Amino acid sequence: MLAYITRRLVYGLVTLLALSMIVFMLLQLSGGGPLDRLRLNPRMQPVIQQLTEQWGLDQPIWKQYVTWLSHYVRPSEFSLHNALPIIAIGAAAAATVAIGKFMKAHWKGALILVVWIVAMYVTFTNLTIKFDWGTSFQGAGDVWDLVFSRVGATFRLGFTALFLALVIGIPLGIYQAIRQYSFFDQLGTTGAFIAFSTPIFIVGVGLQLIFALYFEKWTGVKLFYVAGMNSPGYSDMTFWQKLGDTLQHLVLPAVSIALISLAGYSRFQRASMLEVLHSDYLRTAKAKGLPRSRIIIKHALRNALIPVVTLISLDIAFMIGGAIITETIFGWPGVGRLYIAAIGTVDYPVIMAIVMIIGIGIVIMNVVADILYGVMDPRVRYE
Amino acid sequence: MSEPLLVVDDLRTYFSTEEGIVRAVDGISFTMEPGQRLGVVGESGSGKSVTALSVMGLIEPPAGEIVTGRILFKGQNLLELDEDQMQEVRGGQIAMIFQDPMTALNPVYTIGDQLMETILLHQDVSRSEAREIAIQAIEDVQIPNASQRMMDYPHQYSGGMRQRIMIAMGLSCNPDLLIADEPTTALDVTTQAQIMDLMLQLAEDRGTAVMLITHDLGVVAGFCDDVHVMYAGGIVESGSIDDIYYNPQHPYTWGLLGSMTRLDDAQRKRLHSVRGAPPSVIDLPKGCRFRPRCDFATEICGEVLPALRDVGNPGQRAACHHAEELDLKSMTAGEETQEPAVSEGASS
Ligand SMILES: Nc1ncnc2c1ncn2[C@@H]1O[C@H](COP(=O)(O)OP(=O)(O)OP(=O)(O)O)[C@@H](O)[C@H]1O
Ligand code: SF4
Ligand SMILES: [Mg+2]
Repeated sequence: MLAYITRRLVYGLVTLLALSMIVFMLLQLSGGGPLDRLRLNPRMQPVIQQLTEQWGLDQPIWKQYVTWLSHYVRPSEFSLHNALPIIAIGAAAAATVAIGKFMKAHWKGALILVVWIVAMYVTFTNLTIKFDWGTSFQGAGDVWDLVFSRVGATFRLGFTALFLALVIGIPLGIYQAIRQYSFFDQLGTTGAFIAFSTPIFIVGVGLQLIFALYFEKWTGVKLFYVAGMNSPGYSDMTFWQKLGDTLQHLVLPAVSIALISLAGYSRFQRASMLEVLHSDYLRTAKAKGLPRSRIIIKHALRNALIPVVTLISLDIAFMIGGAIITETIFGWPGVGRLYIAAIGTVDYPVIMAIVMIIGIGIVIMNVVADILYGVMDPRVRYE
Repeated sequence: MSEPLLVVDDLRTYFSTEEGIVRAVDGISFTMEPGQRLGVVGESGSGKSVTALSVMGLIEPPAGEIVTGRILFKGQNLLELDEDQMQEVRGGQIAMIFQDPMTALNPVYTIGDQLMETILLHQDVSRSEAREIAIQAIEDVQIPNASQRMMDYPHQYSGGMRQRIMIAMGLSCNPDLLIADEPTTALDVTTQAQIMDLMLQLAEDRGTAVMLITHDLGVVAGFCDDVHVMYAGGIVESGSIDDIYYNPQHPYTWGLLGSMTRLDDAQRKRLHSVRGAPPSVIDLPKGCRFRPRCDFATEICGEVLPALRDVGNPGQRAACHHAEELDLKSMTAGEETQEPAVSEGASS
């Protein structure tokens, strides 16, 4: 399995390299440049001259690319505050593998996963690492700091939305499959298609109008905010006030994303559950005399969730890029808005940084999906 | 005679589909004694599986429905049981083995888990006792290293081994009746005979009655005491193996036997050699369902559906208006069939 993962990661690295070249090239060839706006003002000529040299824009493309790449992959800061916990985790991981050899395959997988998550957590709380991703052309400062100042906001929104979508979408899909063609199933199907075909900005603006604007107008109660992540006086609030304030900002944008993605999840889950419900092994389970609840929970669910896990992994990968439209509508300070702003001003270092972290996320989550797949389905062999 | 194990009385199981009502099983009646080995043969679509699923209570509403009939198992009408009571019968007293062993086991649980699940469900035993029973069951179906192989997943077993596991699972709770729906069709020929022998031997040791559903009259001849021949949702002939083989009373049975003797053993896979195609069970012809394919049909055959009645040897029954007049055993069925033995005028 280790060999398999290593190979997948090496392929991933090659893919990322190709991706970076293509995107870098396309940015250069796209016509506009970061200094175009300055050119409108004739007195800016010396500034343009200076910045062109400073940013290396007069160099040939390949040279610019090599410069960018050599900075991108080189850590500018690196420190590990306390190595002890990491060593401990390593030992625990080794022990897990050893114990796992005597246990059933899926237990082994689950244990390794837990150790891996703990190891990641400990490592990242101990680790200070920073790469030299350059300086934003817009004068927004160091790109690494800029991007990572936005990742938290994006994850807060993305994971909340994903959580809502899963918690509602998956049981919904399962229930629809069990009660196929019932009124509830038809309702769910219709609802999913409506949600699916409504553009996100309509959903977002609609929610803003109904639950923030009109709700406040009619009842005089301020239930939700329409922009930002927290109110200005946030740092002076008590814990409960902070929590309330956070939710008041978070709910509407999260619900807009969740509505659409839960439509997708419920459809997918419904289809995968239906397939399992019509399978021969489910008929065997019935013929054994198992109660219906056991048939559904033990025999059907486990199988029906396998394909969904892959979908979730990829969803998380794309989440890193932020939700461009939703973040824009709700004034959410996430990666998506940074991204769109960077594209608007042809801010190469920021664009490249974001494209690359999305790419890295996809590579990693693909491997994670494969591992999870193997954990859930004993037929999967890593070769 | 003791109380029959199973009495099926005028069972009708219909499915509503977009094309219309499918009369998959349309008024069949039969009896099984404890320990009996009953073969059920017939072409694809004749309603063999639906009969079995009806007995198991596995007909799925709303599409499928048992419209009338009684299924008395040890004197109790299964159709009147509620779901909880039926669950105790299923797997505990009546077990069923399906055609395709490759897909019949849940891929994500170990063999041991799936075997023990059945045992724990139907027997009042502890986990470790269930484990013992499961290991014994695997040994009984002649799989070596039973305790080791308990921990394997279905994909680590071959098709034949999986069917052995299905047999082990079916017999692990000592059911009174085992329904095997084409248990060996998906397996290669050498494995087929071994599995069939094993299954019937184990069933005999336990006194379990077996209903063996198959396309193959040859298999039935080798393993069963009695046989029902099904055609388009009904039983057209039933009797002992010898009666059916040496003294067929129904033209369809006769055709099947003819198709069997004409082909050598390796080719005799499916009973498709009777002239014509089976009727759609949606638009059944009026009168005898076999009439469009029958060489001996007369006017009455198109008017009245023949009932299954005593004819031929004692205990033998057939559903043909002309059973007595036809002397089928002295004729050879096949393409070169000469003039029908019954002439136009000879209706009763
Ligand atoms: N769930 C269902 N919905 C609709 N029609 C069905 C269903 N199950 C069976 N049928 C129909 O009932 C008829 C009898 O089917 P059945 O499966 O009993 O045939 P069979 O004799 O077992 O055939 P085979 O040898 O191919 O297994 C067929 O016409 C089939 O199409
Ligand atoms: S009743 Fe008539 S049609 Fe039917 S099998 Fe007998 S002879 Fe043929
Ligand atoms: Mg069948």
